[in-house]
Amino acid sequence: MKHPEPCLQCGTCVTVCPVEAAGGHAIVTFLADPDAADYSAWLCSSCWRCQEACPEGIDIYELMMEQRRHEQAPVGYRAAFDSVLTCGLALEVPQEELDHMRAMWGLEPAKLPPPDLVRALILL
Amino acid sequence: MAFYPGCLVLQRMPEYELATRAVLRTLGIKLQIVQQSVCCGSPVVESFTADWVYLAAYNLALVERMGHETVVTVCGGCTNTLTRGARALQDPDVGDEANRRLEPLGLSVTDQVKVRHLIRLLAEREEELRAHIVRPLSLRVALTNPCQVFRPGDVMGFDDPTAPHSLRRLIELTGAEAVEYGGENECCGATLYLAEPELALAAGRRKLTATKEADLLLHACGNCQLLLRRFQRLIVSKEPDLRRQAILLPQLIGLALGLSEEDVGLREGVWS
Repeated sequence: MKHPEPCLQCGTCVTVCPVEAAGGHAIVTFLADPDAADYSAWLCSSCWRCQEACPEGIDIYELMMEQRRHEQAPVGYRAAFDSVLTCGLALEVPQEELDHMRAMWGLEPAKLPPPDLVRALILL
Repeated sequence: MAFYPGCLVLQRMPEYELATRAVLRTLGIKLQIVQQSVCCGSPVVESFTADWVYLAAYNLALVERMGHETVVTVCGGCTNTLTRGARALQDPDVGDEANRRLEPLGLSVTDQVKVRHLIRLLAEREEELRAHIVRPLSLRVALTNPCQVFRPGDVMGFDDPTAPHSLRRLIELTGAEAVEYGGENECCGATLYLAEPELALAAGRRKLTATKEADLLLHACGNCQLLLRRFQRLIVSKEPDLRRQAILLPQLIGLALGLSEEDVGLREGVWS
């Protein structure tokens, strides 16, 4: 990917990144070092701390999302996305199961979205 | 007000909805669930397509059709994408395109719906809430601020984006002590689980290790609760001394309001 023009490679984003703290290398690794190869745009927890800290105001979140759309997705993400496309939600739960659970908790019934609704909302 | 549960709370965490309803009922607020809502888009759909914004538009359109001005959320991601979605709809091009896609569904959308996470809703009613506290709690609580409720600060427009204080104030209102452990603003790691489970668990382990002084962990997002309660057994399998109770904000507040453990969905009690 292309390194963003205004980035000073100051590394502030790396110091506030919880993924870096846990031992992973998210997109902030690339921002601090354009030659870095051991990072993944998918290793980001979407906490926005880097973006809030960036002295140049770079939209790091958008940069990361854009990069993700060009890279192979991890199976967990792919499965969740496929589920959203099919049933509207990240997990597929049958209406009867949801009705049963909500009745057990004394919650008002909740109707699931019609199948394939999301396919009509997004153009792939 | 409308209530948008999001995938996780709708499908896996009925106790969060139950406790939220119970607390807001005490304040005279009745919640009506957004029927047929879809995933908010965060971060799953947004990772694949810029069209995630039309999912937000659809959900906001449902709220408008219900006749509500405000939609209450309880997760960080949902709060964030619905708020950013409403902001995106201010652009006439996005708004027009959203309405073109919604028309066949018999829906239309503006940018007028207010998205309110439970923290913000309660923080804006602090005095009223204080008046209803009948059972002050003596607990030591380790809080985690849900990242996406506060950031990006210029869009979310609530509290200090890097050092928020609203959640701490709400906890202190119940009489409980919010212990300082240095990781209050540190992401729980839950959203990493889809990409790299080991890394998510490592982030969770950092949190459990740092909060040893606390009686319990306190969350205001389904993702934090998912990682640090439901997945806790994966984190502590070899370190049983790190085991900790984890509860949700409305469960803690509900107890201070005099509600029973069952009323707030703590079926196994606070100490299980």
